[in-house]
Amino acid sequence: MSARATVGGAVVSGAILALGWIAGAAMPAATTATVATGTGTSGSSSGSASGSTGSSSSGSGSASSGTGSSATSGSTTATTGATDGTYTGSSVSTRFGDVQVQVTISGGAITDVTAVHLTDHDGKSVQISNRAAPILAQEVLSAQSANVQMVSGATYTSRAYLESLQSALDQAGF
Amino acid sequence: MTATATRPTVVPPTRTVDREAPHRRRRLRADLLVTGAWASAALALALYLSTGLVDLGSPSAAITSIGIASGLIGSDLVLVMLVLAARIPAIDRTVGHDRAMAAHRSLGKPAFSLLLAHAALLTIGYSLADGSSVVSETVTLFSSADMPLAYLSLGLLVAVVVTSLVAVHRRMPYEAWHVVHLLSYAAVLAGLPHQLSMGGVLAEGTWQRPYWIALYVVALGSIVVFRVVRPLVASVRHEVTVESVERIAPDAFSIHLAGRDLDRLGARGGQFFFWRFWAPGTWWHAHPISVSAVPTARSARITVRELGDGTRSLSRLRPGTRVSFSGPFGLFTSLVRRNRKVAVLAAGIGITPVLSLLSRLDARAGDVTVIARGSDESELYLWQELQDWADVNGMRAYRSVGSRARGRDAWLSAHDVARGVTTRSVFPDLADSDVYLCGPDGWADAAESALLAAGASRESIHRERFDW
Repeated sequence: MSARATVGGAVVSGAILALGWIAGAAMPAATTATVATGTGTSGSSSGSASGSTGSSSSGSGSASSGTGSSATSGSTTATTGATDGTYTGSSVSTRFGDVQVQVTISGGAITDVTAVHLTDHDGKSVQISNRAAPILAQEVLSAQSANVQMVSGATYTSRAYLESLQSALDQAGF
Repeated sequence: MTATATRPTVVPPTRTVDREAPHRRRRLRADLLVTGAWASAALALALYLSTGLVDLGSPSAAITSIGIASGLIGSDLVLVMLVLAARIPAIDRTVGHDRAMAAHRSLGKPAFSLLLAHAALLTIGYSLADGSSVVSETVTLFSSADMPLAYLSLGLLVAVVVTSLVAVHRRMPYEAWHVVHLLSYAAVLAGLPHQLSMGGVLAEGTWQRPYWIALYVVALGSIVVFRVVRPLVASVRHEVTVESVERIAPDAFSIHLAGRDLDRLGARGGQFFFWRFWAPGTWWHAHPISVSAVPTARSARITVRELGDGTRSLSRLRPGTRVSFSGPFGLFTSLVRRNRKVAVLAAGIGITPVLSLLSRLDARAGDVTVIARGSDESELYLWQELQDWADVNGMRAYRSVGSRARGRDAWLSAHDVARGVTTRSVFPDLADSDVYLCGPDGWADAAESALLAAGASRESIHRERFDW
């Protein structure tokens, strides 16, 4: 290999890497929550406890929060405010893709939680989300709130899932 | 050592301009090729950096990011290896098939290490992120879409690389090694789906995805075009068959080939083809064999030394056997010549490309000196033909027979060195000569260092390697 090839290869490779680095640094920050559906409630970070309906969950361990606030085992007052129906939460962007959750309120209780959209940037994140979503749904149903523990190994999905859920619950006045 | 034709002519060495220009262009092409290979590896990494997905914030994320990067660079190197092994005529004309294959081999271990690291680092990175064990993470990964194929790909690569380790390769029959090596195509194909489905870097909608798909198309496409389609078309067109097999020594034979428009193949003296003989037991792999006589319109001749079962079976070929081929290849030709004077060194069966090279060498009487070496008389294959050609064309032809000498001129026979023959006494004008060197590696290495010590420049030594 001639010296020219070595120098040429090094210079060209270096330039390409530098360009890649600059392009990568210019990419928007990884996790930015965006609100897709209307009805405000954008500030609903997962930590803020909304009126969670203790009902059955007060004793169950599932509500001990990974997100900051413990579930206030509380009254039926919150329940009364909820209107039956199906609400779609805001779409929350993560670096692995958008997450959006739909919640069904019936008889003043959360009866169903389904994911409208889960992280899908790559197979690994699809796999992680597909594992985490049923666990989160189950926990939400038993806790009757968005204040549930995040699924380990699925931090991004859990955070976005619960944030989207919270915005849906806020719409419902839950 | 016997001088068979000595017509000393004293002509001042002259350099012709038209030999320099192609040389410069070829060097530029070679440098661009090397630069391009490095640039493609850099681009693989740069494209990943440009996604902004690189995360070195936590140990698990950092390990994962490095694992992804090594997978991307490793894949790129594998594709470069495929291109080098594709026998693309432009690459052959630029660096020669043997040097392309040497580069191919030198990339093997780095590419493999990167792909192994890719698998290991991602498993560790994911297991740290998930808080699971490496074993359970592997189970999870294995159950993901396309991942069983990816593991299969890695397993095949292990087989390919292990059989190509020098120690193992030496002990295996060439044919067995060759079959295992063909699995690398399967490995590349099996590794592709998980990159497209699992890999976030190549995810749908990103512009890295078309780039990588294009790389795969180019690499695999060049294999298909230059190793399958073109040889097939040429073989059908030229209708080459075995005319006769001629025993020339106890362990060597010439195969005379007949065909149509063989002169249009554009083969130069000193080049070789990959020949595939469609006879039982030998049809399934191609033999790289030099032409010992440049193809004419209707005939060509190749000469083979029996080195293993594969070549031995060729001696039993029947007249009329169909032959397919790819080629011509190699830079052991007058194309790379830059000087008026030419020094030629051949050992054993290395004489075959030398014969066809000399037959097409445009040289004045006295410009060419040839020396053939063999450990005994029977190893001086086709010596008579070489001698006759040298006589008629005013070339000096010497022979050096007997066990090899030790020391500086170890490429000569001990007998000749004892008589006072040296590299310089055989080739007094090495500084102004092109040197063509063909023979077994150990001998050629010895010859090359002796030639360099005697004043040849590294660039003027054209060596045909037979160790692919």
